[in-house]
Amino acid sequence: MNRHWLKLAFAALIVSAFLQTGCKGDGKKSISDDIEIPDSIFNDKPLMISKEAMEDIIDNISSPVEMAALLKSTGTPFSQKLLASTSRIDDLNTNFKQALNLGVYGCDLGYLNMYEKTGSVITNMTAIKTLSNELRIGQFFDFSTIKRLATNNENLDSLMYISVSSFNNMDEYLRQSNRGNISSLIVTGMWIEGMYLAAQVAKDAPQEEIIERIAGQKLVLNDLILVLKNYKSDANFADLIEQIESIKKEYEAVKITYEMAEPEAKEVDGMLIIVQNDKQHIDISDETLSSIIGVIESVRSKIINL
Amino acid sequence: MKRILNILIVVFIVLGSNNTYAQSDELVNVCALGIGNATYLKDYKVKLSASSVSPPSAKFNVIMNKGTMYKITVCNAEGHAGEAVVALMDNASTLGTNLKPDGTFVKAVGFQCTKTGMYSINVSFKDGKEGAAVAILSYINMK
Repeated sequence: MNRHWLKLAFAALIVSAFLQTGCKGDGKKSISDDIEIPDSIFNDKPLMISKEAMEDIIDNISSPVEMAALLKSTGTPFSQKLLASTSRIDDLNTNFKQALNLGVYGCDLGYLNMYEKTGSVITNMTAIKTLSNELRIGQFFDFSTIKRLATNNENLDSLMYISVSSFNNMDEYLRQSNRGNISSLIVTGMWIEGMYLAAQVAKDAPQEEIIERIAGQKLVLNDLILVLKNYKSDANFADLIEQIESIKKEYEAVKITYEMAEPEAKEVDGMLIIVQNDKQHIDISDETLSSIIGVIESVRSKIINL
Repeated sequence: MKRILNILIVVFIVLGSNNTYAQSDELVNVCALGIGNATYLKDYKVKLSASSVSPPSAKFNVIMNKGTMYKITVCNAEGHAGEAVVALMDNASTLGTNLKPDGTFVKAVGFQCTKTGMYSINVSFKDGKEGAAVAILSYINMK
């Protein structure tokens, strides 16, 4: 009888373990076979900021869809040549390179979805699938559904939702499973690519909204550097921090001032609409903008040619 | 025998918690369907216990961009008594909440942002009841 119960308990544990790993991947184990990001980075050394604070910061940074939406809303036409090539996937042979470029392709996916370029979505998704599988987080992407929606050009809102929520879920999982280093790289890649897209548009056809969005990212830079510095003992991270700090240096000339005022609120069709009356003035010279664009191009080039 | 039963209980709790995650993901999917003419950006899952003394709340920081109209939609999970109260904060000041003075709720909270910066979305449950809910942050294309 005891043996029967033992067998039953053992079977239940196996099923449980299988469900856990099958649904969510195998946590930090995937890092241990990556020679460039050893476990010691996050296991042996305390984080400079708390895990909660880091999650909070990372949550704030990635919104490639908003940048793409801004570009589209200003009437900027789609440009395939702005996107990162997916031909170098096989050269991305470490978790560091894979995670950074996964962020880049994730941002490009948002751009493609925004402009409803579903044909290119499949090529982009193939790259994302390869990289996310290498990083053992491929389970968060329902590739078959995304491919079906893209191929049939159907329900593009769903395509956008599935794409964005897949990245959100993947990011949440990475941080919960002590793989914040990978999460921080994906977010950095996304941010750089979003900035690159905006910078190229600003370079060719400067528009106030886009320039202000680029300049406003000054507020994000410190947080991004703070997160990356948690892993600065790794040479690759140290080099990346140096590159991001070179961007920050160019932002020093950007001045942001505020005029505060009381917000107004009114109910319209059952929805409360809050209108903020604060004003934000962003002062950025053509020279500063040009310098920022130049350094963004340089950093982005290094990432996609790692 | 008792030890084996304990193991089994732990296993079923683990399996049960997986189910809870699945349920919250399902609620996100359902809630995202109801955001109307807006584009999904993020979701925030909240589950809080009851407390009459100091009602617990969850706080999520988010950077919002100048020139963007945001929308926060809330969906309460079935089987929980609490109704989620979501408040949009700019530092310590409340910009607006989905709870009206008469105790009823608006369908969603919209926010026309004129200042890029850090804001926070606070979620609690009315009257300190226990509850589970999802808040979806989306943006509305104004052009």
